[in-house]
Amino acid sequence: MPADWSLRALRGHALLALGYLAFAFFVLFPIVWIFLMSLKSFGDIIAYPPRFLFTPTLENYVEVLFGGEAERAAGEIPDLLRFLMNSVIISGGAVLVSIVLAVPAAYALARRRTGGARNIQFTFLSFRFAPELSIILPLYVIYTRTGLYDTYAGMILVHQLITLPLSVLILASFFRDIPQEIEEAARVDGANVLRILVSIVVPIARPGIASAMIIAFIFSWNNLIFGLVLAGGATRPVTMGILQSMTFDQIKWGLMAASAMVSALPGMVAAILFQRQITRGLTLGAVK
Amino acid sequence: MPPRRQDASENGLARGTFLLLLAPALILLFLSLYPFLSGLYTSLTDQKLYAAGGTRFVGFGNFVRLAGTPLFWTALGNTLTYTALVVAIQLPLGLAFALLLDIPGRLQSFFRSVLVLPLLIPPVVAGLMWKTMMQPQQGVLNYLLSLLGIDPQPWLANPATAMISVVLIDTWLFTPLAAIILLAGLQSISVELTEAARVDGASPWQIVRRIKLPLLGPYVLLVALFRVSDALKSLEIIYATTRGGPLNATRTLHVMAYEEAYRWSNLGRAMAIVFVLWALCYAISGTLLALWQRQEARRYAR
Repeated sequence: MPADWSLRALRGHALLALGYLAFAFFVLFPIVWIFLMSLKSFGDIIAYPPRFLFTPTLENYVEVLFGGEAERAAGEIPDLLRFLMNSVIISGGAVLVSIVLAVPAAYALARRRTGGARNIQFTFLSFRFAPELSIILPLYVIYTRTGLYDTYAGMILVHQLITLPLSVLILASFFRDIPQEIEEAARVDGANVLRILVSIVVPIARPGIASAMIIAFIFSWNNLIFGLVLAGGATRPVTMGILQSMTFDQIKWGLMAASAMVSALPGMVAAILFQRQITRGLTLGAVK
Repeated sequence: MPPRRQDASENGLARGTFLLLLAPALILLFLSLYPFLSGLYTSLTDQKLYAAGGTRFVGFGNFVRLAGTPLFWTALGNTLTYTALVVAIQLPLGLAFALLLDIPGRLQSFFRSVLVLPLLIPPVVAGLMWKTMMQPQQGVLNYLLSLLGIDPQPWLANPATAMISVVLIDTWLFTPLAAIILLAGLQSISVELTEAARVDGASPWQIVRRIKLPLLGPYVLLVALFRVSDALKSLEIIYATTRGGPLNATRTLHVMAYEEAYRWSNLGRAMAIVFVLWALCYAISGTLLALWQRQEARRYAR
């Protein structure tokens, strides 16, 4: 009996180890592979069978970040850097606008227990259901007429469709966790809602606010379709820039890999540094 | 604590304050109603995207025409196939990941950090990454298969395998979301419950099947809600890899609408497609949301 038992336990352990291995391989292999590719020279990339061992080079990163020799000689800013800058301005701006509007809105939703409040919350959630084109195709017509097409202001405005519902839902979930006794005490002392919000709720909910801002920034950063429809040469974000450069130069895999790594950097850094807050934010606060 | 003010104690914030705090966000969001409604009108016209000149009101002409277009039915089928495959693959796989990560161990926090990585990569970039890996001749995926003795696959290049290839990329990106939600569900189950079953001699597998899975109901619904609502309107991965091809094998309604507008300049017809998709999204996602709400309400009532 004991021998049989230990054999079964051993088999269980082996199965489990295999499970973990498969899991890690599935999730990590594409990222590791593209990272390796970004460090390869052209010859190493097109070699078959694929090379796992090679002399790493930074030439792909140098080219996408500082430009090719011709661009450097002409003193031009390389495309990817401009796209990155556009993305920082658009997503950063969108998050700042959203958080200012979302803090009071989320607080209101978290502190009123009526059916109406719940319905409004579900309205915010249902913005996720709509196909983006139902709003942004007509918006294209409106933007070209009003001069908002291909402007930072226009892009920041349309990105509110992503960042605002996201921020409100995440923040409301965090605000609900704050015990109301402190606020009650302040209210008895005569503080009004705005004061309570600014001097009590916001300081306590700082991790929640950070979580909302990080998630909203990443989702805005990762978005392609808004840029595809509403951005031209002046505000083209990084996701669209990468796609466009790939379409014209199918074979430049090394540059694609390096650009991919650079554009995925905000997300990956956030994933490692703020794992807990992100987990909660990704599910819009529905799961803690 | 005795109630101080009737309104404040029963409903929380007073109604005026509530609306005042909420107003700026709601107003900004409902600005989007204007383009939405103007788009609805556009779907009833023959408006072109680029051509100047007047547009004609055509009533439901665009919708009638769509019904007679075989490609529309292909795209509708593709949209539903994509969504069904996404749920059928990602729910069980996500559950497997969640069960794996629920087992206490030394590497768990590392695995959990790893888990969220794909979710934070732009879908377009993920599409491009996989497109390189799925190259039929030089791609690393076929090389890895060859090590296992499996024949090379055409992946995205062949109409027969393109759909499942795109779904595979979606699976890599979004199964972690399913796993995160289900893992949270597993961890909300009280330890006493599983411990009691273990003492009574239940095997780990029995505990999973008889105790844990039945309690995961609301979480499974939440996964379905998130994944279905996204899959119905999927566009970015497809746009980065196949653009709807080969031979329309991956042309979903959302992709078709985009092409109709930007390739053929038929804005009116594009909007008609978009609103069919919109109705589909709200019908399906709305049903799932209602189901989830009911489960949640029941849980709070308990």
